[in-house]
Amino acid sequence: MAITSELDRVSMVVLRYMRGPIFALIVVYAIGITGMALIPGQDADGNPAHMSLFHAFYFFTFTATTTGFGEIPNEYTDAQRLWAIVCIYMGVVAWLYAIGSIFRLVQNPHFVLALNEHRFARSVRAIKEPFFIVCGFGDTGSLLARGLDDHWMRGVIIDIDPERIKALKLRDYHVDMPGLCADPAVPKHLIDAGVRMPNCRALVILTVDEEINARISTMTRLLNPDLRILCRSSSKQHIAQLNSLGNVTIINPFEIFAQLLSMAITAPRLHNLNGCLVRNPESTLGQPIQVPSGDWIICGYGRMGKWMYRHFVRNGIKPVIIDPKAANIKGAARIINAHASRNSLKAAGIDHAAGIVAGTDNDHANLSILMSVHELKPDAFTILRQNDHANQVAFDAARADLVLQSSLTTARRVLKHLISPQVQIFVDYLRDQGEDICGLAVSRLKSMIGDKPLHLWQVKICVEDASAVVEHLRQCLALSLAELTRNPYDLEDSLQCMSLSIARGEQRIMLPADGELLQLDDELLFCGTEYGERMLAASMNNAYTLDYLVTGEDKPRGYLFRWLDRRGRSAENPA
Amino acid sequence: MNLERVVFGFVIILALTFTFAFVMGDIDNASHHNVWMLTIAILINLIATGLKLGDRSQVGALLLASSLVVDVLLIAARVVWIITENETASGPSPESMANIVSLAGGALLASLVTVVILVGDTLISRR
Repeated sequence: MAITSELDRVSMVVLRYMRGPIFALIVVYAIGITGMALIPGQDADGNPAHMSLFHAFYFFTFTATTTGFGEIPNEYTDAQRLWAIVCIYMGVVAWLYAIGSIFRLVQNPHFVLALNEHRFARSVRAIKEPFFIVCGFGDTGSLLARGLDDHWMRGVIIDIDPERIKALKLRDYHVDMPGLCADPAVPKHLIDAGVRMPNCRALVILTVDEEINARISTMTRLLNPDLRILCRSSSKQHIAQLNSLGNVTIINPFEIFAQLLSMAITAPRLHNLNGCLVRNPESTLGQPIQVPSGDWIICGYGRMGKWMYRHFVRNGIKPVIIDPKAANIKGAARIINAHASRNSLKAAGIDHAAGIVAGTDNDHANLSILMSVHELKPDAFTILRQNDHANQVAFDAARADLVLQSSLTTARRVLKHLISPQVQIFVDYLRDQGEDICGLAVSRLKSMIGDKPLHLWQVKICVEDASAVVEHLRQCLALSLAELTRNPYDLEDSLQCMSLSIARGEQRIMLPADGELLQLDDELLFCGTEYGERMLAASMNNAYTLDYLVTGEDKPRGYLFRWLDRRGRSAENPA
Repeated sequence: MNLERVVFGFVIILALTFTFAFVMGDIDNASHHNVWMLTIAILINLIATGLKLGDRSQVGALLLASSLVVDVLLIAARVVWIITENETASGPSPESMANIVSLAGGALLASLVTVVILVGDTLISRR
């Protein structure tokens, strides 16, 4: 219903604007044509003749639009010419009026808005493949859209800021990402964006206002009780409210970063592997960063500071806190109520500090803390919080050991949830297994891929993704992982890909062994290179290649040679 | 080495060379073109088409398609020859001869495509 009402609104605005001009045109045409048909003329021989209605209409059409083909069908009499003059002035004025109205209409902001909404709703309805809705196209939203685009996934974007939607239109995405400038908390806009469409996979809420995020979540839950919602939130009150809605994944960038920091302290290898899996350009596979566990100083006890502090305490570190307002913090070594400056850093004991967190919500303050630290204690481990994506260049130049950029952390985590949920399960599994297993996996990946960036992809053993494998398994033939990932150019070698996990129904097989036999509808998570993905896809979809990988011999393909082959075999084993 | 590849490669290249042998010469001079050569080219090419039946790979489909094109063109040329054989004492008239050789020329091109695909596929598979 909402969809048709949008169309009604557009046509209604058009009709209201064009009512006057259309009426004027009809009247002018009627007068002109009737007059022309009634006024007597004469034919080529001078006999009296009336112009037919059709000719009058033809004449008026080309006169009113200032085309002017001349006097047809015969030369006009003076009376006719007099009327023709009237016709010309009437017609031209009426047309100018109509055209002026059209111009005014297309410049009317309400009409443009209605038209944009209509176009947006139409382009969303035309989407056949799975898509995600992104509310809020700020730093995080645009990073997420870029990430979705890298995976050839479609996003539908709503943002209230017209400048952001203009920015979206200028992006060079491979896939079409429709964008609407509207308030995402209005149900009509959510429906236009496709929350009720069956191929909408999830709604990602990333606006800056926690209140609006909560409102969008509630609206969406009412409009579509089954839709998965991912919402950025870092306030306790809103998180509790969101959790009560059900099927909401809450992305708290500060918590995520504190967890990552915890991981860097207790499991540096896994932290490093995780960084490579999410393609953090600062992580190099096999070179984990070493976070020291001496005395720490946290500058700024806001949302991020609190989370960091909690995880430090959990890992047995008692940090000194510098914050103008902080008070009564359990377990802190010391609290210094001051802005972070050279003096307060010295008072906090920077001389014997192992690490510093510059975690205020002001980028400039954080950078100046970092510069003081570089001067006072150059070998301290530094963690820097970046609030604004636009300051990237300055933060790159700052040479901190770890940079938390809330938007980047959020976008990476959302992408991980949307594109490859298995990755997080895999990382959690490795965390439980300990560093040794992780070290083995890393060294195996390293020996296979080298220094190239890790590429992750998921394959399902189904007809669309792996036709040859499905055919092979349906013939009740076994296929192991090692056989599948053999290199068709050299059977001794294997492709640059390694299976991290297999999802089989409810069962999860982590780091499957080479001999693991595949089954129909398995979902495999692979890590490797893009070339490896292409080669594997070729093997999985070409029955002859797959057969060659398993048996090691090139089977005949044509009927004749297959027949000869069968005869030869039955002659060998007459049984 | 794969026996099927050897046999198919042999047959397809033989078909190409026979077609070429037929096309060589002045386009409208019947005495430059031997009808036996055309007939043998048709037979060899039909065998090549038969060998590709049943191959479900993409390259196999393409090879089958191009060898079917060769069949159609060569058979069309042979049919024109049969119809116009009695136009002059020495065979088809120059105009008809030009038609026949043009058709065989088209077949030669399609044959060439088949061989190029075959060579390319063999080079890529590197086994």
